[in-house]
Amino acid sequence: MGPDASDLSLVRRVQRGERGAYDLLVLKYQHKVVKLVMRYLRDPADAEDVAQEAFIKAYRALPQFRGDSAFYTWLYRIAINTAKNALAARERQPVSYEFDTQQGEDGPDMISRLKDPETPEGLALTEEIRETVNAAIVALPEDLRTAIVLRELEGLSYEEIAVSMDCPVGTVRSRIFRAREAIDRRLREVFDGGLGRAEELV
Amino acid sequence: MNRDELESQLSAMFDGELPAAECELLSRRIDREENLRACWARYALIGAAMRSEPVATARSGFAARVSAALGARASAPPHARRRQSRWWSGALAASLVAAVAGVSVTMLRDAALRQGRAVALVPAASMSVARVAGAVDSAAAPAPAADARAPNGTGTPSYVTPAERGATNTFLRTQLADYIVAHSAFSTPLVRRNLLSELVTGEDGISIAPGFALAAGADATAALPGPGR
Repeated sequence: MGPDASDLSLVRRVQRGERGAYDLLVLKYQHKVVKLVMRYLRDPADAEDVAQEAFIKAYRALPQFRGDSAFYTWLYRIAINTAKNALAARERQPVSYEFDTQQGEDGPDMISRLKDPETPEGLALTEEIRETVNAAIVALPEDLRTAIVLRELEGLSYEEIAVSMDCPVGTVRSRIFRAREAIDRRLREVFDGGLGRAEELV
Repeated sequence: MNRDELESQLSAMFDGELPAAECELLSRRIDREENLRACWARYALIGAAMRSEPVATARSGFAARVSAALGARASAPPHARRRQSRWWSGALAASLVAAVAGVSVTMLRDAALRQGRAVALVPAASMSVARVAGAVDSAAAPAPAADARAPNGTGTPSYVTPAERGATNTFLRTQLADYIVAHSAFSTPLVRRNLLSELVTGEDGISIAPGFALAAGADATAALPGPGR
């Protein structure tokens, strides 16, 4: 089962009335959606509000989701539309002082508002996480590294990985788990010990 | 189940590779245990970091805030809410109709008994409940009064056999006329007049409401209000 199918499994559970399954989808895609909305709204707090609204809209529309496209593709469209609507609503509001300072003679500078507005702290944290994860992957035993890479980067199902690695599906499951466990341990060590902000990861 | 096995299941569920029955059980634990949700979020983070996707752009607690917002607005997805509301509203409507019908029948029967006879209202009221609940198509259903015509031959007061026409029905017709007038605030005078006229002149009884049939009598005229009432 590939990543899309695993999302679909969660979606079906939400459609059956399990709201907890939707929490898992939110946890899975929160960063991607917030980042996406931040392309339209400069302020991170505003972007989070709009992203939250997008998740709520998606939840309400979920009964109509048939699975013709991947869940994230569908969520992406909702998030983009919600962000555009929020931006349009903002255009209709009285212009704030902060907005005026960014406005040129020819009106609002759309390009500047579509630039990546991530804060230096956010960029540093993102970089730190990537470096930690990459270092942990490099340190993994070969079989664990291959299994997690085939899963996360290639999107192969356990069965496909089993064929590729010539081992039982149960072994694949165990290898992927142990790889994640090792990377996760490294992440928690770095953030709990060094920076004391492991909670920021979730 | 030890922690390793639990997280191994979580990892498989994250990949959509856990059997449905195990997913069901694990989901309940995830709902209860914050640690498992945090672990799930870190698995997502690891995958995103490996694919160079955005990480750590949402502040901590974002998912909890979404969940709280959803919980504040609704506890179930829209389709489930609709199903529940349909079920509850149907049951509630049926209960209300049954209660109103029961009270009405009791009151009317007591009133009729005070007049010295029993009146065939029970079957009609019961059918009214069934029709409101959608069980019986009012157009296809036979007229209750006509069904109840078969005499029981015992000579005892019957809840099935309709009352004979006569002065004893005056009370009910009066009530019915009053009811029509009281609830016709939004009807046109012509409709109201036709209805009352039918009540007065009907030979075999009229259906004022589905399933509510009464025998009409000649002396109902006295109970009729004027058009301006």
